Amino acid sequence: MEGFIGNLFVAVAFLSVLGSMVLYGLSAWKDESKALEKAADWLWISKGVFLSAASALLVYLIMNHRFEYFYVWNYTSTDLEPLYLFSALWGGQEGSFMVWIFMAFVVGLGLMAWTRKPYKQPVMFVMALTQVFLISMLLGWDIFGLKLGASPFRTIAQEMPNAPFIQANPDFVPADGTGLNDLLQSPWMAIHPPIIFLGFSMMTVPFAFAIASLWKREYHDWVRPALPWTLAANLSLLTAIFLGGYWAYETLSFGGYWAWDPVENASLVPWLFGTAGIHMMIVQRKSSRAHKGAIFFSILAYIAIVYQTFLTRSGVLAEQSVHSFVDLGLYNQLLMFMLVSLLLGIGIYLYRYREIPSPKKESTILSREFMTFTGGMMLFILGIVIILGTSSPIIGRFIVDNPTPPEIQFYNNWSMPIAMIMAVLTVIGQYLFWQKHNWESLASALITPLLLTSVASILSIVLGDVRNIYYMVFIFTAWFTVIGNGAMMIDIIRKNPGLIGGTLSHVGFGVLLLGILASSAYNEVLLDQRMQNYNDMVAAGEVFDEQGFPIREKAETFMLELDQPKLVANRYMVTYEGYEITNYPRPEQQQYRIRFEPVDGGRPFYMTPDVYPMQTTSTADNIEWSVEPHVRTGLTSDIYLYVAGSSYVEDRNQRLRRNRSITPASGQDINGEEENNQQTIEFSRGQTIEVGPYQFTFQDFRPANEENLPDSTLIGVRSLIEVFHRPTSSAFEIEPLFAVYTQDGQSWTYSPPLEIEQFGLGIRFTGIVPDRDSIELTFDGLREEYEEDWVVIVAEKKPFVSIVWLGTFLLMAGFSVSIFRHWAREKNTEKK
Amino acid sequence: MKPKLILGVVSIVLFTSLLMYNFGTSISTYVNFEQAENRTSSHVVGVWERSEEFGFSNETMQFSFHMRDEDGNVRRVVYPRPKPNNFEQATQLVVIGEMRNNVFYANDMLMKCPSKYNDPSEADFVNAEEF
Repeated sequence: MEGFIGNLFVAVAFLSVLGSMVLYGLSAWKDESKALEKAADWLWISKGVFLSAASALLVYLIMNHRFEYFYVWNYTSTDLEPLYLFSALWGGQEGSFMVWIFMAFVVGLGLMAWTRKPYKQPVMFVMALTQVFLISMLLGWDIFGLKLGASPFRTIAQEMPNAPFIQANPDFVPADGTGLNDLLQSPWMAIHPPIIFLGFSMMTVPFAFAIASLWKREYHDWVRPALPWTLAANLSLLTAIFLGGYWAYETLSFGGYWAWDPVENASLVPWLFGTAGIHMMIVQRKSSRAHKGAIFFSILAYIAIVYQTFLTRSGVLAEQSVHSFVDLGLYNQLLMFMLVSLLLGIGIYLYRYREIPSPKKESTILSREFMTFTGGMMLFILGIVIILGTSSPIIGRFIVDNPTPPEIQFYNNWSMPIAMIMAVLTVIGQYLFWQKHNWESLASALITPLLLTSVASILSIVLGDVRNIYYMVFIFTAWFTVIGNGAMMIDIIRKNPGLIGGTLSHVGFGVLLLGILASSAYNEVLLDQRMQNYNDMVAAGEVFDEQGFPIREKAETFMLELDQPKLVANRYMVTYEGYEITNYPRPEQQQYRIRFEPVDGGRPFYMTPDVYPMQTTSTADNIEWSVEPHVRTGLTSDIYLYVAGSSYVEDRNQRLRRNRSITPASGQDINGEEENNQQTIEFSRGQTIEVGPYQFTFQDFRPANEENLPDSTLIGVRSLIEVFHRPTSSAFEIEPLFAVYTQDGQSWTYSPPLEIEQFGLGIRFTGIVPDRDSIELTFDGLREEYEEDWVVIVAEKKPFVSIVWLGTFLLMAGFSVSIFRHWAREKNTEKK
Repeated sequence: MKPKLILGVVSIVLFTSLLMYNFGTSISTYVNFEQAENRTSSHVVGVWERSEEFGFSNETMQFSFHMRDEDGNVRRVVYPRPKPNNFEQATQLVVIGEMRNNVFYANDMLMKCPSKYNDPSEADFVNAEEF
C-alpha cells in the first residue's frame, strides 16, 4: 500500500518537473507574460513537495522496519541505531538519488527567489532538465519492455520473483534485514553523502547560468549572479571531500586519507573544473575577458559530475572501485543523461561561439588576466589527467584488452609537477592582481618573500632530513605559496579585509601541499627491535623465502605479550596492558589498551584500538572480524595504530572451528581427536592457584539450596570460587554445586558445570577431600599449554597530517570569505 | 600564423602525447593465472578459495591463501603483509605481482568489499528464512 503511494508521489514529482521544464523553456523563449513562469515555479515547488513526501515515506518505512520492501531489507536491520536508520536512506543508489534531487529542489528555490531576469527562466529550465533525468532514475516504470528507473519502493517479491520462498509464499516478510555495512555505521555516514549531493546540485547552477547566457546572448553580466553560487558549490564539494578523507583515515586500516579511488576522483575533478571556472569568472568580471573560458569551464564542471556519476553508477567501474555501486540497470539512462548534458552544453557553446566576445588585444604575460587564466588552465589540466586515469576501463580499451586502473604513481607523477606550477602562479598572479608590475618591479616585490621562503625551506629540509631534490623543490614552491600569498594577504587586510578570499585560499593550498608531502613521503612504520633488524636484513637482501627467492617486503607489524614492555622505534616503551570486552557499540567488541611511554621522559599515553565482529556478515559459526584503528592526533604528527591480531580472536576462531567439526554423537571432532581439555585441580580452603590467564580462589563452602537437589541426597554443598582473568582484569564469583545421592542402592555424584561463556570455560565442583579441608574442581576448556595473551600491532607515525587538515580549513575559510563578499556585492547591486 | 598560436598548439600536442604515453605504460591488463606464468607482472582477478588452507606466518611474515581466478584456476598466493582487514568479506580480489613456480607472489592486493551498494545474492535470503 505504502509502496503504491510512494511510487505515485515519485510519478507526480516527475510529471511536475517535466511540466516545469517545458514551461520554463517556453517562458524563456517567448519572454512575455509572467503566467508561464509562475506556473513553472509552482510545478517546481510541486516536484519538491512530492519528492520530499516520497523520501519521508521511505524514511517511515525504514524506521518501522518494513522488510517486505527490498530497499529496507537490503540496507537496514532491527538493531540499527536511529541515526543510522535515517542515514540508510542514502545507503543505496535509489535513496542517494532522492537526496540529490531534494538538494537540487532547495537550490532551485534559492534561484527562484534571487535570480533576476533575463536569466531566471533559462536557468530554471536547465535545472528542471537535470531533474527530469534524475527523477527518471526512480520511476520503476516498464514501458513496452523498456525499463525506466528503479523504484525505491519495490518489494522483495517484485525484486526477486523467482526466489523459491517467494514462489512458496508471495507475502513473505523477512524477520530482519541484512543491515547496513558495519563500516558505514559511523556518524560520518550521516553527513558526508548529503554534503556531496549538495555540492553536486549547486554545481548545476554555473552550468545553468552559462547556458542561459548563451541562450539569451547576455555574455557579460551572467558571472555576477553565478559567481557566489559557484563558490558555494566548490565549498560544499571541498567540505564533502574533506569529510570523506577524514572518515577513511579514522576508520579504515589503510592509514591514509586519499586513494585516487574513482568515487573520490568523481568529486575532485568537478571541484577542479569548478575552480578553473571561478578563476575565469573573476577575470571576466574584472577585465571583461575570458568569456569563453568562463562559459566553457562552467559547462565542463557539471558535465564532469554527470560523467563521473555515469562511471560510478553504471557498473563500468565495477571491478575497480571499493565504492562501486551495484548495477541497477541504469546504464542506458545514465548514458542518455550524459549525452544530453554534453550535447546541450557543448552544442550551444559551439553554436554561439562566434558571438562570444573576444578580447581585441592579447593580454601581456605580466598581467593578472594572463596569470589567472593560466592558473585556471593548470586546474583544467590536472582535472583532465585525473579523468583520464579514472576512465581507464573505457579509454584503456584502445590500448589493451581488459584494462586495469593505472598505478597510483601515474596520478602522483602528474599531480606533483602541476601542483608546483600552480603554486608559483598563485603568488605571481596575486601580486599582479592587485598592482601592475613590470619585470623589475615584480622582481623587487618578490625579494622579501623569496628570502623568507628560502629560510623556511632550508629549515624544513634540515629538520625533516629531506634528501630528495625533487621534494626540496616541492617544499620551496609550497612555502613560496604560503609566504607570498600570506604577505599579500596581510597587505590587503590593512585596506579591506573582505577581499582576502583569494589570498587566504591560496595560503591554504600551500599549507595543504606541505602537509601532503610530509604525511605521504615521511610516513614511518613503528617497529620493535626484532622487526627492525629483520627489515635491515631484508634491505640487505639477506632474507629468502621457502623457494629461495629474496624477500623484498619489509615487515609492518610487531607482537606484544601481556605486560611485557618493548622498545619500539627506539623512542617508546610500549606495553600491552590487556583488553576489555566492552560490547559497545557491537556485541563482543573488544578494546585493547596499549601504553606508550616516550623514553626521553615525555608523558605516557594510551592507545585504545578496537576489534569487533562484523554484524552484517558474521554468522553463529563463523565470525568475521574488523578493526577500529585509534588515531592520536597531534600538532606535528599523528600516531596511527590498530590491532592486526590477538590471542582472544585466535581463541574464539579456534573454538568456533572445533564446534563446527565436532559431531554430536561421539564428542570427538571429525579428525578423531578427543576433546582433551579437562583438568582437575585440588584447592584447599582459601588457596589461590594460577592456571594460564586465570587465578582461581576457593574461598569457602556455601550451603546448597535444597530445592535444586535430587530427593535422595546425602550430601549437598556449594563452594564459593572467585575467578580472576588477568588480561581483561575481570572477576567473577561462582558457586558450583556438589551433591552425593543414592539410587538403586548406589551412590552417585552430581556436579553440574557452570559456564563462563566469554572464555569458553566450564567449572565443576567434582570432589571433597575432608581430611585436607580441600575440594576438587574440574575445569573444561583450559589449554594444557598456557600461552601468554598477545596482540599483533600495526603502528605508524604520520607527520603533519594536522597540517593537511589545516590547509583544507584555510581553503574553506578563503572560499567562505569570497562567498560573503560577492554575495554582499550582488545584493547591493540589486538594491541600486 | 601567430607565434603564440603555434606555441600553444605544439605544447598541447606534446603534452597530450606525453600524457597518453605515460597513461599507456601505467595501465596493465587483467590475466588469469595461466597467462600470468609468462609475464613478469600481472593483475589477476578472482575470489578467495576458502576450502584451501590459509594463514599468516610469524616466521616468514607472509600471508598465504588460495585464490580462484575467473577461469577457474586455483593457485596459492603469497602476500608479504599481514592479512588485510576485512579480507574474508571481500567479494572479489585483485592480486598484482608475479607468478613463480606455480605460486603467485603478490606485491599488492585490492579487495572489493560489499560496501554501501550491496549486491543481494540468493545465499543472503537463506539466512532470512532461518528466523
